[in-house]
Formats: sequence, structure tokens, C-alpha cells
Amino acid sequence: MKAVQCKEVTKKYGRRTALHGVSFSMEENKIIGLAGRNGAGKTTLLKILTGLLKESDGEAEVYGNRPFNNLLVSANSIYIDDQMNFPTSLTLKEILEEGRRFYHNWDHTLAMNLFDYFGFHPKGHHNELSKGKESTFNMIIGLASRSALTIFDEPTTGMDAAVRKDFYRALLKDYLAYPRTILLSTHHLEEVEDLLEEIIVLQKGNLLLHTSMEDMKSYAVAVSGRNESMPEWMKHKVFLYEEKQGPYEKTIILENDLTTVEKEELKRNGVQLSAVSASDAFVYMTGEANGKGGLDDVFSGHINSGSGQKTSQL
Amino acid sequence: MILDTDGMKPIYIQIAEWIESEIMNGGLNVDEKVYSQYKLADIYNINPATAAKGLTKLAEEGILYDKRGIGKFVAEGARQMIIEKRKNQTLKQLIDDVVTEAGYLQMSENEIIELIRNSWKGGSE
Repeated sequence: MKAVQCKEVTKKYGRRTALHGVSFSMEENKIIGLAGRNGAGKTTLLKILTGLLKESDGEAEVYGNRPFNNLLVSANSIYIDDQMNFPTSLTLKEILEEGRRFYHNWDHTLAMNLFDYFGFHPKGHHNELSKGKESTFNMIIGLASRSALTIFDEPTTGMDAAVRKDFYRALLKDYLAYPRTILLSTHHLEEVEDLLEEIIVLQKGNLLLHTSMEDMKSYAVAVSGRNESMPEWMKHKVFLYEEKQGPYEKTIILENDLTTVEKEELKRNGVQLSAVSASDAFVYMTGEANGKGGLDDVFSGHINSGSGQKTSQL
Repeated sequence: MILDTDGMKPIYIQIAEWIESEIMNGGLNVDEKVYSQYKLADIYNINPATAAKGLTKLAEEGILYDKRGIGKFVAEGARQMIIEKRKNQTLKQLIDDVVTEAGYLQMSENEIIELIRNSWKGGSE
């Protein structure tokens, strides 16, 4: 069974459309990343999947059920973000006890061990926690719930580097022991890319890409060298980004469909080819730069008003 | 020297190569059970599907064999297969690169052979 299935899911807030007919499906028991620039529609999508919002059009299904107003989905999924509200009268320990009452797969030993490891005080209160501590506490709830569909929306907000590392490690270890469907949205793609099996990229409310992490890592290639050593055929390639390095040299990021012969020719011309990491590829494919030139152009005062997603001029 | 070696070797290949070197240096012997995808994921902090891909690659090449439901084991003659593979693929690729580079530098065949011979002597001293 598919863990998640979305058919043409659209969400409108008044006149603004946050999601434009997004369709995809997710196999169960995978860790999947959700990436997108600010305002791409990530949170809206995740909230629809956990039944916190209702889609305006189309259909979202979680384990075959429509999530909105559905107790079965509520009991088997959890949505963790940095704006979780808990009753202020409860202590942190009491909140965990409530989690145990609600989530049937809840692992209280794990919850308490993590609680101690991260140095929480049992009598502390959620609204007194610092930003990073709050995220850490929410993460503990997300992991301990062992929900069939576990969703983390920007879970590492405010966490320091060491805690983020611990969190990723805890997430992987617990997933290995208890496989489940985990959907993780993050702005730190470079930190989680090895944990993910697949990635979904949203751009301006549209699904831009849903692929394996392996493919994402070889999606783009960086080509750099002198202007005159770029062969004629380069202009037929799909450019994701182009940057001048001084008057005579430039780096071009393009979709990685170079043939061996083409690579040989570039190399013969003294042009350097290098790998583009998954997180860099993500930045290039979703960049505001697409079709407009980079930030530098904003400052130099000439922005081409092209609206295409990809440029292909040399 | 082209792209592929430039730090962009996929993780599953690196996992496969790590198991190969364990077999080569005697860390893993014939009919011994290899780490599971979950164990490898835990050790290297990677997604288990990535680790599984590395194991599958070796199984497809006949270096490992599958015991259904138990795991993957080192096949008879695995070492020899790895040696052959490295000779025919890795080493040949390196030599191709050397010859290509020599071509750009307009070196003769003899010059290259001389270089290899010197390096060989240097290495065996």
C-alpha cells in the first residue's frame, strides 16, 4: 500500500494559491525529504497530509484514507513543527505522559532516555524553553510516537550543530529499528542528504521533482573554464546557472546529460568538470536566479525580465 | 581523471568497495556473513536503501551470494573475482587515462613505458 498518495492537490488561501495540483505518491517505510524555497508550499502540503488543513481541490490520501477530519489518520500520523502548542499547565514530563496516552505505538523508554540525554528538567514547562530546546523537545515527541507516518517540518529550527547531528543520528537509528514512513522538510539539505532515500522538491506551489537521492546527486554538473574554450554545442544544453569569474572565465551549472565524448572534448579544451552536491543542485534548480541572472545582477541594476525557469543562452 | 573520480563517487559504490577491500585483506572470508544493510546504515550513518544497493551490486557480480531471509555471504572465489575486476576495470581505466594524458603531452610510447618501469622499480625497492 502507498503511504501517501496525492492527486492534483490544490490549496487556496483566499485568492492566493499555495499548491497548484500537486500529484505524487510515496511508498511506505522510506525516509523522504521535502525541499523547497521559503513559500514553496511545503508546510501547506505537510499539514494537508496530517489532516490539519483541508485541500481545496484534488485528493490527498494517507494509507488509503482522506486525512482531514479522520481519527484513523490522526492516530497514525504526527506532524512536528516549531509552533507546537501544549497546555502551559502541564510540565514537560506530563506532556510526554499524554503522548503515551494518545499514540498507541508510543515508546516511553525512548522518550525518557532522550529527555534525560538532552538534559531536560521534568518539571520544566514548554513555554519556558529556548527555541533550540523547544525544537529538541518536539523532536522527542515525534520520534517516541513511532507513528506510521511521521512528519517533521523544519525540525531543527534553533538547534545548535551538535544537537542537529544527534537528532539525525537518533532519527536514523530509530528508523532502522522501527521502519516507518518519515517525511522531513529542511533547509539543511546538505546535512540530511545521506539519510534520505528520496526527495521531493516543490517550487512556487508546484511539484518540481520527485526522485531518488542518488539521482539528485548526479542531477547537475559544474563546467568551468575560459569563455572561448566552451564548445559550440554547449548552447544546446540546459543551463541552471551561469556565473562569470573575471572577464575571461565562467562557471556554468548544467543538467548532467553530458556524453563521454562531450566530456572528453571539454577536458581537451582545458575545461574543468566537477560534481554538484544535491543541496547545491537544489539551490540552482529552485534559485530566484532562474531566468533572471543572479543576485549580482540585482545590484548591477540590469535584470532580464525573462520568466522562463531555465535559460539556455551561452 | 574525468568527472567520475572527482569526489562524486556514489556512496553505494563506496560501500561496495569497502566490502571488497575487507574481502581482499582477509577481514571477510568465504561463506562468512557480510554486514546487513541495516548494520551498514548504522555504521556509516546512511539510508539503508543506499547500503542495500551496494550489497546488491556485489551480489549481481557474484562476489556475494544470497541466503534468503538470512543475509548475504562471501562467495567462493570472491577474491579472485575482485582481483580480475580491478585489473580489467579500475587498472585499465587508470592506464587509459595515463595514455590519454601522454597524448596531450605528446609523449612517445617508450617514454611512458620508461616512466612505468621506473615507478615499478621505485615501488619494489
